[in-house]
Amino acid sequence: MSWQILVNGLVNAALIAPPAIALSLIFGVMRFPNFAIGGYITVGAFFAYAVNVDLGAPIWLAAIAAMIGTAVVVWLSDALVFRPMQGRGPVTLLVLSIALTLILEHIVRLFYGADVRGFDLPLQRPYRFGDIRITQEQIEIIVLAIAIAAITHLILQYTRTGKAVRATADNPMLAQVRGIDTGWIILLTWLYCGMLFGLTGVLAGLDLVIEPLVGWYLTIPIFAAAILGGIGSPYGAMLGALLVGLAEELTVLILPSTYKIGVGFVIIAILLLVRPQGLLGRPEIKK
Amino acid sequence: MTAYLVSMLTFTGFFMILALALNLQWGMTGMVNFGIAGFYALGAYTSGLLTAKLGWPVGLAMPTAVAAGFVAGGLIALLSLRLREDFFAIVTLGFGEIMRLIALNEDEITEGPRGLKIDARPFAGMFDRELYPIVYLILVASVVALAFIVVECIRRAPLGRTLRAIREDDVVAEVLGKNVLLHRVTVFAIGGAFMGAAGALYAHYVQNISPEVFMPMVAIFIWMSVIVGGAGNNWGLLIGAGIVMTILEGTRFIGDFVDILDAEKLSALRIILIGTLLIIILRVKQGGLLPEQRFTYKGSQESGRTETQTSNA
Repeated sequence: MSWQILVNGLVNAALIAPPAIALSLIFGVMRFPNFAIGGYITVGAFFAYAVNVDLGAPIWLAAIAAMIGTAVVVWLSDALVFRPMQGRGPVTLLVLSIALTLILEHIVRLFYGADVRGFDLPLQRPYRFGDIRITQEQIEIIVLAIAIAAITHLILQYTRTGKAVRATADNPMLAQVRGIDTGWIILLTWLYCGMLFGLTGVLAGLDLVIEPLVGWYLTIPIFAAAILGGIGSPYGAMLGALLVGLAEELTVLILPSTYKIGVGFVIIAILLLVRPQGLLGRPEIKK
Repeated sequence: MTAYLVSMLTFTGFFMILALALNLQWGMTGMVNFGIAGFYALGAYTSGLLTAKLGWPVGLAMPTAVAAGFVAGGLIALLSLRLREDFFAIVTLGFGEIMRLIALNEDEITEGPRGLKIDARPFAGMFDRELYPIVYLILVASVVALAFIVVECIRRAPLGRTLRAIREDDVVAEVLGKNVLLHRVTVFAIGGAFMGAAGALYAHYVQNISPEVFMPMVAIFIWMSVIVGGAGNNWGLLIGAGIVMTILEGTRFIGDFVDILDAEKLSALRIILIGTLLIIILRVKQGGLLPEQRFTYKGSQESGRTETQTSNA
């Protein structure tokens, strides 16, 4: 029983780790908490649904299509909404991102309604290891999350572009002085993160269900993970995702599972009070 | 038709109270509140449960709902001590969602998604059925007026200047010897009290409340009202609330002309429209329709020179 909770927690963590990394990266270069991630994830899930169920393509092709499609939506949202209003302060951008997430969610609802759906996949028996049960999809989610964490690490640490992303997040002015095209770097960051959000939509559709609110339900744990790890720190986001994923499953022992979303908020509130910079973040001097 | 108009005006009144409270918190003091739905729900369920389950008289239950909003607002504002404004916003959003989750899940008390039926009404039995909606509208309108007067008085008073100073730069306000935390807690508590009042009025008006009314979407409608009208301007947001309600209600009639749109699609379109308008207004008309008046200071005439200074507020 207890090992099963650990496994569920791991799957949970693997689901929120990639978008938490993406949220952290975006916060790093844009400097505002982007609540539109819920909308991006929903859009990703439904792109995949359209390709997989409506067009009858295999799921891996649907996943690739969802990643590309979501990246385009994310890029458009930056070009139409966020970039023209940069410099308006984080609160204006936050309001914009919440409005955007509502718009995206309801565009999906306009076409697909509010029904709960699933991908067109053959049902498989879960694997059993002693008392522990795990489905093939859950194993795939964990493997993909580890792969994404590793790829992100390699890009940030060893490529020129990755170093430029870190430099831009650290100090955009200084990065520009050193000849980094920060506009281009921000665009690349959006596109990369858009692909991660799209993939998250697909994975959420595999593990949970596909519905317009799927992104909203994930938004809070993702924020909790990113803030827990120190927002702006992608490595912190990985650690944060692990802790939030486990904490959510553990609370099921005490509280009804419907309160899961509340757990994320409580973690955020306590953590922000005790250690506002997060576990791995550096303290930011408040103006 | 008159009945419809009266009920629309009543609903606009709830929006106006919420918008005035948000203007006090955000427009004037710069404290972001995305948990409006939570305060609204707190007021509605406090008054609703006290009357429906414990048999309290409405005259006692409604003020208790106001007090609940006041206390909740004050407690949450304490968190602003250590939080940057955008992170404080996330915490308020969390408060709203937790309130909704409690209403949804503790269904042995709140009746959850089945909806809580509330029979008690203020001034019940004192007026005939035909007249009652108008009486209720007058009740709501007087609370709107009260909220307006309170918020407008605060804006004009020296307190209002302090709040604007905190909004523009809390460190400077602190250096000038203002107790920033105390001001923030007070403002958030007063705002919370008005939101609680709006919730209680709503509960006894519709007489059946359920958690899905209190989605985070409510916050966007109210933000839209304040931003369209002009943050910091109390007259503007009254217009803003009217505009938002007109969009919400007016789009219902599109369905009569366009057959392919069912209720579900229409409600989705409505939200898309509201969200898009919010983004467009923020982009093209930052200050809203009626931007905040800037205070000008004229130096005393006796000293022989007239100085006119525009404050940054």
